[in-house]
Amino acid sequence: MKKIYTLFFAIIIGFYSCVEDQNFDQFDDLDIIPTIEASLLYVESPEQIINDAVGAVWYINTFNFDAFNEAFFADNVIDGVITYELENTTSKELEIIFEFLDDSGAVLDTEMFLIDPAPTAVLMREIAYGNATGRSLDIIRNTSAIRVSASNLGDNTSVSNLPNPMINFRSSAKFRVRLK
Amino acid sequence: MIKSKLSLCIALFGITTLCSQNKELLYDFTEIPQALLLNPGMESSFSWYAGMPLLSGIYGQAGTSGITVNDLFANDGLDINDKVRTRALNGMTQRDEFGETIQIDLFNGGFRSIKKPQDFYSFGVYFEANTILYWPKDLAYLAFDGNADQLGRRFDLGHLKTKGEGLTVFHFGINRQIDPKLTVGVRAKIYSGIFDFNSSRNDGYFTTTAGQNNILANTMVADLALRTSGLEEIRSILSDEASGSVANVITKRALFGGDLGLGVDLGFTYQLNAQTILTGSLLDVGFVYHSGDILNYTLQGRATIEGVEVILPDAFSDPNADLWQELVDEVEAFIPFEENSDSYITFRPTQMYGSLRYNWGVPDTGIQDCDCDINGQLKTSRFQYRNGVGGQIHIINRPRGPQAALTAFYLRRLGSIFSLKTTYTVDKFSFSNVGLGVNIQAGPVNFYATANNLLSYSNLADSNYASFQIGLNILSWGNN
Repeated sequence: MKKIYTLFFAIIIGFYSCVEDQNFDQFDDLDIIPTIEASLLYVESPEQIINDAVGAVWYINTFNFDAFNEAFFADNVIDGVITYELENTTSKELEIIFEFLDDSGAVLDTEMFLIDPAPTAVLMREIAYGNATGRSLDIIRNTSAIRVSASNLGDNTSVSNLPNPMINFRSSAKFRVRLK
Repeated sequence: MIKSKLSLCIALFGITTLCSQNKELLYDFTEIPQALLLNPGMESSFSWYAGMPLLSGIYGQAGTSGITVNDLFANDGLDINDKVRTRALNGMTQRDEFGETIQIDLFNGGFRSIKKPQDFYSFGVYFEANTILYWPKDLAYLAFDGNADQLGRRFDLGHLKTKGEGLTVFHFGINRQIDPKLTVGVRAKIYSGIFDFNSSRNDGYFTTTAGQNNILANTMVADLALRTSGLEEIRSILSDEASGSVANVITKRALFGGDLGLGVDLGFTYQLNAQTILTGSLLDVGFVYHSGDILNYTLQGRATIEGVEVILPDAFSDPNADLWQELVDEVEAFIPFEENSDSYITFRPTQMYGSLRYNWGVPDTGIQDCDCDINGQLKTSRFQYRNGVGGQIHIINRPRGPQAALTAFYLRRLGSIFSLKTTYTVDKFSFSNVGLGVNIQAGPVNFYATANNLLSYSNLADSNYASFQIGLNILSWGNN
């Protein structure tokens, strides 16, 4: 009988368990901050369009662009970079102005590009927002439209001797967003 | 508030749900009537038994593979972000899982046929709920790291796999001793599904590559689906969109008012020789047909975007076009997020047990083994060896394929009051799973308790796996 009691208590002790000190408040310190990256705007125009235009401004348009002021993104974006690329294979010097507009149409930020006639290197530029040296993140948060205007600083008759001459404007955005 | 209630509800359902469901301690523990639920062909010598309602079988199990609570939340002074990075993101694979199971006997009983004493009938109703969530590795990387600076990397959407269900099971089993060496059994089951959700056949990927026109191209190829049953009505009540009470909905669905299904358990015990016994069982070969309160979600299609694109001179044709909205509409058209209420079938997580046991030792009661059947004079003698040792196998079908567990066990009987079973189990959760089960027979009162992975009890938070089962029955052998 004594053996049985001993065994019984051994079982009870065996089932007794412990949990080492856990600190679930650590969850509050967990950061989930992915960096997301996507293209923004692509504009392509053959040289003939530039030559056919009346006046220097051969293209101007305002695009609705709600990606930045979507509530979740606007509330949680931390910082980021917008990358621009211009490739000019036309025979003209061109000026491209890229503007961020808010809901009322007010200009929040402007980026201007001057690019030489072909042959010329691809113009690349990165503009930072939100970090210590970057521009205000409010520009991004409040942007609801983008205006692109393109001007011809050269003549209206010449044609590049490169195949299929055109201007290509490329842009992409890379931002850190806090999910938690 | 409603959201938090719903979250709590789902969390509770979740907590009450899955894992490997291996009940290695209870299997072939022939003194415990509930072992018949694991092998309807178990050797039994009960005359009758009656489980205490709601107390005859309470089973809970939780498991994680690849990580423990302690790995992340130990008060060790380390930065949790570093711990998540090294132990979860970099330490886990899409085969690692989180899961829980709960099973509660609502009532359970059994009796031996008077006219045909080699037949033993058992019946009852139990509630079972289980969930499983596989670690969505690529989606976790996408959430923590994003897609930047990872050109060409494919984030596999197929890593999203989860499944959960809650149901009541009405069962009736027949256990027949064919001859002194062979006992077989079968159990019919009717399932009454309370809730179900599953998203386990997902496919597709998300990738970022160099764009054809623009700098980058984001491509998504998706074939995702989440099927739910029995949750929408609860959600509507909790969000005050419908009248009624959640309790009523659950009760109604638990009593044949929800999804219905059929299943069967099969089992046998065969005495290879006087001291060696082979057993096997196949459980939950069945299905549930989900036809009520269905709400399914799908996301299927393929789209590649390179931002807003203005191609001149084509764009001059509609200078006022909302190109951003067109882009959004285009993506939604290519990869539509849709809902439907199509009925569906789920198959139960079929399980298989097998064991080989060698018995020895003189019984404490002094009763010797006999070559007799259930009609024999010494009805209890067939399991009165003092010791039993052997091995068991358990296999269960899971969304990522079968999971197996191997168990070595030792069974010890101490007089007519105590029986003990200890196990050592190896599975994907643990290589150090030692379990202990005890059965106490005090007159007609039978109490049992089992728990496994005892070595981890020094710090449960650091355990990958834990389960327990307790139960209380009134039972009788022989002519009691």
